[in-house]
Amino acid sequence: MIAAQGIPLVDFLVLGALLFCVGLFAALRRSNAIMILMGIEVMLNAVNINLVAFSRYLPQGADRGQAFAVFVLAVAAAEAAVGLALVIIVSRRRGAIEIEEISDMKG
Amino acid sequence: MAAFILLGAVTVYSGWRVATAPLVTHAALFLALTFAGVAGVFFLLQADFLAAVQLLLYAGAVMTVVIFAIMLSEMKDIEEPRGRGLLGSLRSPFLGFFPLAGVVLLFAVFLVVYLRAAPALPGTPLPAPADSTAFIAGALFKTYAFPFEVASVLLLAAMIGAIILTRAEGGRGR
Repeated sequence: MIAAQGIPLVDFLVLGALLFCVGLFAALRRSNAIMILMGIEVMLNAVNINLVAFSRYLPQGADRGQAFAVFVLAVAAAEAAVGLALVIIVSRRRGAIEIEEISDMKG
Repeated sequence: MAAFILLGAVTVYSGWRVATAPLVTHAALFLALTFAGVAGVFFLLQADFLAAVQLLLYAGAVMTVVIFAIMLSEMKDIEEPRGRGLLGSLRSPFLGFFPLAGVVLLFAVFLVVYLRAAPALPGTPLPAPADSTAFIAGALFKTYAFPFEVASVLLLAAMIGAIILTRAEGGRGR
């Protein structure tokens, strides 16, 4: 039987924190715009783990946690669409998506 | 518990590879594995609707968009310039050492806060709702109906924005 029966809430929170830190590391370390967006997606997923864990363990958050997880999903999808569209147009205009090479805003 | 440790290890390891894999395409595939691992964690938490949506939307749709972006953007070389592995990159302060030190510090702060709060946090989950889809639908369409509509407008705006941004630049006229 797969269920969260013997696992305390704090374990899920630590997993979320760990995944968030890994995603933040990816976003900070990379210089490629697509990689930075991928790190941000990992961070949003870590937040969702926390939200769903709270919704399953705390009576105050029962429906709130999962509803907000759905909103985070929607925002992440919108962010991926617009962010990657920007990456494509920048690479088309300048031939580079290394963020160090995109330092002036007027194209 | 064994399932949780296994899922957590796979998720965090593949997230780590997203940060460190030298090839962009490899990082994208590890990103898909991270999404699948998070979906497994949702299953473990008996949030099966969110687990299914996670697989469809993240491991399906977002991954497709990411891979298309990698293919469509004209990367000169698909490899990261500093692809000499993690230890080599630690020598450059701003792209190696400071991010790692900052992130480790942040995780230590998280850990201290959580472990101090741990005795007050519940150890067992609430009884799962009989039908988690109906449970979320009730929340989304009753309590959070207005934020739900705002989110749908946001998605529509993002879609139109993405189309306008990337439309072919040859034929100018609007």
